[in-house]
Amino acid sequence: MDKYDVIVIGAGNGGLGAACRILNAGKTCLVCEKHNIPGGFATSFVRGRFEFEASLHEFNGIGMPEEPGSTRILFEQLGVADKIEWIQLKDAYHLISEAEGYDYVMPFGWEAFAKANNQIHPDGEKYINEFFALCQQIRDAMGYIGETKGRPDPKVMMEKYPDYLACGSYSVNEAFEALGYPKEIVDNLNTYWCYLGADGNNLSFLHYANMIYSYFSKGATIPKYRSHELSLAFEERIHELGGDIWFNSEVVKILTDEEGHVCGVRLRDGREIESRHVIANCSPHIVYGKLLDSEAVPERALKLTNFRKLAGRGFTVFLGISRSAEELGLKDHNYFVYDTTDNVKQYESMKTIGNTAAQATVCLNNADPDCSPEGTCIIYMTTLFTDDAWSSVEKEDYFRIKNKVAANMIERFEKATGTNIHDYIEEIAIATPETYARYCGHPQGTVYGYESQYYDGLMNRIQMVEEDRFVPGLRIGGGYGERLLGFPSSYKSGVNEAGRTLRDMEKEGR
Amino acid sequence: MAFKRSNVPGEDIKLAMEMTAKRRQLIDEAPATPLVYEYGVNRLAKALHPGFVKAVIAEKAPCSADCVKIVMEPADSGEFPYFRAGQFITLSCRAGDSFLSRPYSIISSPKEALAGKLEIMVQRKGIFSTFLIDEAPVGTGLWLGEPSGDFHHDSIRDRNHILAIAGGSGVTPFLSMMKAIREGSEDFRITLIYGARTRAHIPFDPEEFRGEGVDAAVVLSEEEAEGYMHGFITADLLKKYIDGDTSVFMCGPDAMYRFVSGELETLGFDYSRIRQERNSVGDRKVDEIKVFRLIVHIRDAVYELEAPNNETLITALERAGIPAVVRCRNGSCGFCHSRVVNGEYFIDLKDDFRRSADKKFNYIHPCSTYPESDMEIDIPIMNP
Repeated sequence: MDKYDVIVIGAGNGGLGAACRILNAGKTCLVCEKHNIPGGFATSFVRGRFEFEASLHEFNGIGMPEEPGSTRILFEQLGVADKIEWIQLKDAYHLISEAEGYDYVMPFGWEAFAKANNQIHPDGEKYINEFFALCQQIRDAMGYIGETKGRPDPKVMMEKYPDYLACGSYSVNEAFEALGYPKEIVDNLNTYWCYLGADGNNLSFLHYANMIYSYFSKGATIPKYRSHELSLAFEERIHELGGDIWFNSEVVKILTDEEGHVCGVRLRDGREIESRHVIANCSPHIVYGKLLDSEAVPERALKLTNFRKLAGRGFTVFLGISRSAEELGLKDHNYFVYDTTDNVKQYESMKTIGNTAAQATVCLNNADPDCSPEGTCIIYMTTLFTDDAWSSVEKEDYFRIKNKVAANMIERFEKATGTNIHDYIEEIAIATPETYARYCGHPQGTVYGYESQYYDGLMNRIQMVEEDRFVPGLRIGGGYGERLLGFPSSYKSGVNEAGRTLRDMEKEGR
Repeated sequence: MAFKRSNVPGEDIKLAMEMTAKRRQLIDEAPATPLVYEYGVNRLAKALHPGFVKAVIAEKAPCSADCVKIVMEPADSGEFPYFRAGQFITLSCRAGDSFLSRPYSIISSPKEALAGKLEIMVQRKGIFSTFLIDEAPVGTGLWLGEPSGDFHHDSIRDRNHILAIAGGSGVTPFLSMMKAIREGSEDFRITLIYGARTRAHIPFDPEEFRGEGVDAAVVLSEEEAEGYMHGFITADLLKKYIDGDTSVFMCGPDAMYRFVSGELETLGFDYSRIRQERNSVGDRKVDEIKVFRLIVHIRDAVYELEAPNNETLITALERAGIPAVVRCRNGSCGFCHSRVVNGEYFIDLKDDFRRSADKKFNYIHPCSTYPESDMEIDIPIMNP
């Protein structure tokens, strides 16, 4: 029983997705997880009478049952869709930006969103419709490239998707400049930037356009029982399919044979398990820097990993409030509170531990009124650090510094929304980059994998996915994978790597 | 519409087509230096949360009629982690045929722990405390779980003045807090009111904790003595210590919580400003003791044992000598999170801190769960 067709390292979204894909194909699979529960960031925790969502603000790509999004379809294929209860979110966001004096709510739905832009610019609807037509072409082109397994016919591309090709090399800011939209419209379309965490000068336009199109056209959802529900749904499915998950079982070594092919893993307690195939749902920094013996790591793997840029390090304040959202005067689920919508400036100021320039804040009760006891509510505020600022914090100062940053975020939110929260805080938990590093082991406490960069964006990675792997029998999926960060992306990347692993196995069998 | 940036015909598309080649070139130019995978953030995370730490008993000294102080030092030249004053640690070791774990609040201040000294107070209660007091000699090796719990002052959540109410060994987290204030690692005011039967039952010297930002008073219920208050911790007594900037922290027996909470309610004190350290979930009263069969999976190992319906599952596991992960023993921390394969069970509502999805998918915390039928469960491995 010490041999599996595939071993998955890490029961995060990518690992759970990968395991389901492998097991659905009738292969045996063991998932080794260092923590005592599945999910990685997709989890929740209880403090007193509150259950906090650990990471998810909103989940895109689910859509409605009658008009499913790509992630719902994927979940159906994996056999987990029926295990999850979704709550559809009403509005997209409430944007408050101090420098420009923005304070407005934007709805989901292409048409509703387009119309709502008329309140910020007389021709708002026209610009948004035009923008979505471009997004639609980008989506269609990506779909076509996917169908051709990355080998599209250049003629078809030129004829049907000329705009896709034309904007293919551009950053978000370059693309918006070319489109020539008014500042108010561009600022509004830039609101979601912090979900990808790279500034507009570097963020690939294709990637960003693809994401906001998905949000506005398909809406967004949250699982009824926090993202722990997603993780347990996957765990249940893995057991149904005869797979195994071992918790408190950190993999410390990926073993390779004389030919350099994967031949198993070693756990922290010394136990070794055989397998010819490993899918790692963790950082390539850890895979190439620690899990593999250095002789097994080719030079180009080091070059690739050094070429990449670690993305946003997470910071979240979780608050259990002894007053209802209504009593506080909070009507919306999803708030973006920015000093400015200029995300190049924001990105710069988020490099240090000072005033937090940007926060994405959720009042969960406005999506799910039953998420906490009557007369209470749950609020969580997230920001990112765009550099390794927390590495220089000393342990004696750590608790004081994290409370200082949290207090600053609470104050910023209160000021922006005109509410009083601090008087009613019954429970608080603060997750710093140290916390994310503790639970998931990511370098510097990144929660966003490798940053979506000009030359390391979505299409780049997808096109070069085979070129970016080096060790036979080993594939890397999840938030560091070809589809980058985010819930749907990390599941998809894990599933895709599992699909490729199945093909590797087929080839080897021949 | 047509997307166009460059005025040179075909330039935009050419740039897009060249993306892959450019990326390849940038990778070629990147250094092949060894990867850094452990940054300062990761090192600090490890220092704050080292997992299990090996320790030895360095000193034992009685401090009241039924309490003993135990001082521990790190084994194998290791070190103790930094923590928040008020947090607890879990001690684990083999005692006879059993493998036992119990949570204890730390008496030491955070800086004392850094200096390699960690002190707890053990009140004679059950099998593990008796083992520690009577059987474990100086030099006995123990596994310490990392400091845990949110029973500590929080500058955002809590008011600047803590009215600390304690009984029995419940004084321990407050001793740590008072030392922390004194050494400067915490910044708030604290007034401790300690309830004891007689002077012989006081496990600390109140005189030691009177000074700047720190005060301690003792209420004796069965003895009248000079310098001590007499009676119970009533509303009349409490209101003397409550100002507009007060949060109440309580640590002691459940009967004390019920009484003091009732008194605070008569004062109209805000419920959300009261914190109680939760006590371990013990045996329960049942009409008839039934013994069930418990099948336990740990990874690919399978154990079979007996589990009586009046004891928690964790107690049954410990009795059978199975090293089972457990931390808080009161249902709240989730460290022993386990999957129910089949079987019926009971969890008292007040001890049920499971996540909502755990209830939906049938997961339990064995430290707060009693069997109601034969059961089969899958528990995480104890992996120090």
